[in-house]
Amino acid sequence: MYQHIKEIVAAAQKEHKALSELIIEQECQTSGLPREVIWQKMKYNLSTMKQAVEKGESGDGVYSKTGLTGGEAIKIKNYRQKHQTLSGDIMMQAVENAVATNEVNAAMGTICATPTAGSSGTLPGVLFMLKKRLDLTEEQMIRFLFTAGGFGMVIANNAEIAGATGGCQAEVGSASGMGAAAAVEAAGGSPEQSAQALSIAISNLLGLVCDPIAGLVEVPCVKRNAIGAGNALIAADMALAGCTSVIPPDECIIALKEVGHSMPAALRETGMGGLAGTPTGQAIKTKIFGKDA
Amino acid sequence: MTGIYRSVFDIIGPVMIGPSSSHTAGAVAIGQEGNKLFGGIPKKVTVHYYDSFAKTHRGHGTDYAIAAGILGFKTDDPRVPDAPEIARKQGVDIRFVEEDGPSPIDHPNTAILDMSDGEKKIQLSGCSIGGGAIEIRQLKLHGLTITPSGPLPIILSINHGQELTDEIPVDLFLQKHAPYNIKRAYHNDSCYIYEYDLKNYLQDKLIQEIKTKFPNVICL
Repeated sequence: MYQHIKEIVAAAQKEHKALSELIIEQECQTSGLPREVIWQKMKYNLSTMKQAVEKGESGDGVYSKTGLTGGEAIKIKNYRQKHQTLSGDIMMQAVENAVATNEVNAAMGTICATPTAGSSGTLPGVLFMLKKRLDLTEEQMIRFLFTAGGFGMVIANNAEIAGATGGCQAEVGSASGMGAAAAVEAAGGSPEQSAQALSIAISNLLGLVCDPIAGLVEVPCVKRNAIGAGNALIAADMALAGCTSVIPPDECIIALKEVGHSMPAALRETGMGGLAGTPTGQAIKTKIFGKDA
Repeated sequence: MTGIYRSVFDIIGPVMIGPSSSHTAGAVAIGQEGNKLFGGIPKKVTVHYYDSFAKTHRGHGTDYAIAAGILGFKTDDPRVPDAPEIARKQGVDIRFVEEDGPSPIDHPNTAILDMSDGEKKIQLSGCSIGGGAIEIRQLKLHGLTITPSGPLPIILSINHGQELTDEIPVDLFLQKHAPYNIKRAYHNDSCYIYEYDLKNYLQDKLIQEIKTKFPNVICL
């Protein structure tokens, strides 16, 4: 099993293979399952993501039980149709996909955790925008998920992917790094550029806290995925332009771990600090769960 | 490098009902392991929450998730949010307790399941480490306390009044088909339990084969 990003990149360079190919081979080896079975599993995950995006972007959208989130993917969709967006239609399309997915998650709909449910909008945000932008085939989309997942395994095994242990940087930050690396491959960039994109994306979200209001995966989680997707695209574009991270990818991952461990518990998914701790955040909690909660 | 996440589908997946992979999907997984360890649905379950689980279980749907797991539902089963009601109708008593102190197994997402059915009492201590993946760090059954390394899969071979030598067939089978990192032995006057921390996930077919060959084995 690949333990570090530099090992995956070195193997890809040596064997002249795509990152996604190496991750598929690794999965065949560790699971003992045939390639076709693994491919179909990822295809199923892709179809789940597609359905979640479509659900969040159809009709009036979806709304959570609490009413804290919902319907904003539709607002973005309408805005894109009627106005010239400031950050560009492509960027806002990624944001719309990301928000749609996390609104479905908050409404207890079916999603694919990537790497977590709270950060489940970031990868689809990037992926379904790239499908249109680069006219990706289904095979390329499935490969995108293998590359993202392979890089995500290295993050998960060397740092964290849970808000309770590493803050939101471990969830949306990790997802953003994974998406940036996979976007580079989808755009025809080199394995080294994928690693650089991951470094840049993670570096830009280091320190992001996990502060869900009332402990619900709604506010600020849904909008955090908008920045996860946007940041992934920015990092991927910068890496494709030849920009590099001064700190190597594996050290960025260690930094993520160290920052997570330095965070006080109030900022690690306890619903106590950050936005959850504000007067409005506390008032919402009381309204939903009562005074003794 | 911990190497706890062994599959790309630990990261891209699971497909699940929201809202939280650690507090919902991971909680379903802890409940499922409770069901497997107990050998079915217990009559009574008391769930003790610690740290982040104690603070946010209501917002994350952890209660219905654990109930769903205890009933044997999968993470993407649409019945997951209705699990407590379904359990009640089946006469299963599930209670949730928010504990103040630190987690006895040293993780912020900890749930300890006390499961019983008449005389039979079994305890499972699990934690949800992120993305739906879980660890089982302590088990109490037949008067013995088992402390696995944590990551799944874990195999238990339970032998009443039998010596170590009887373990050899299981050992040999596992070495050939499901290699393990560590084997631990526990015993008291009436029971020997051997616990194996496996290296890789098991395919369903192999689990079925193990269960058929060795009826005294539990696969977690």
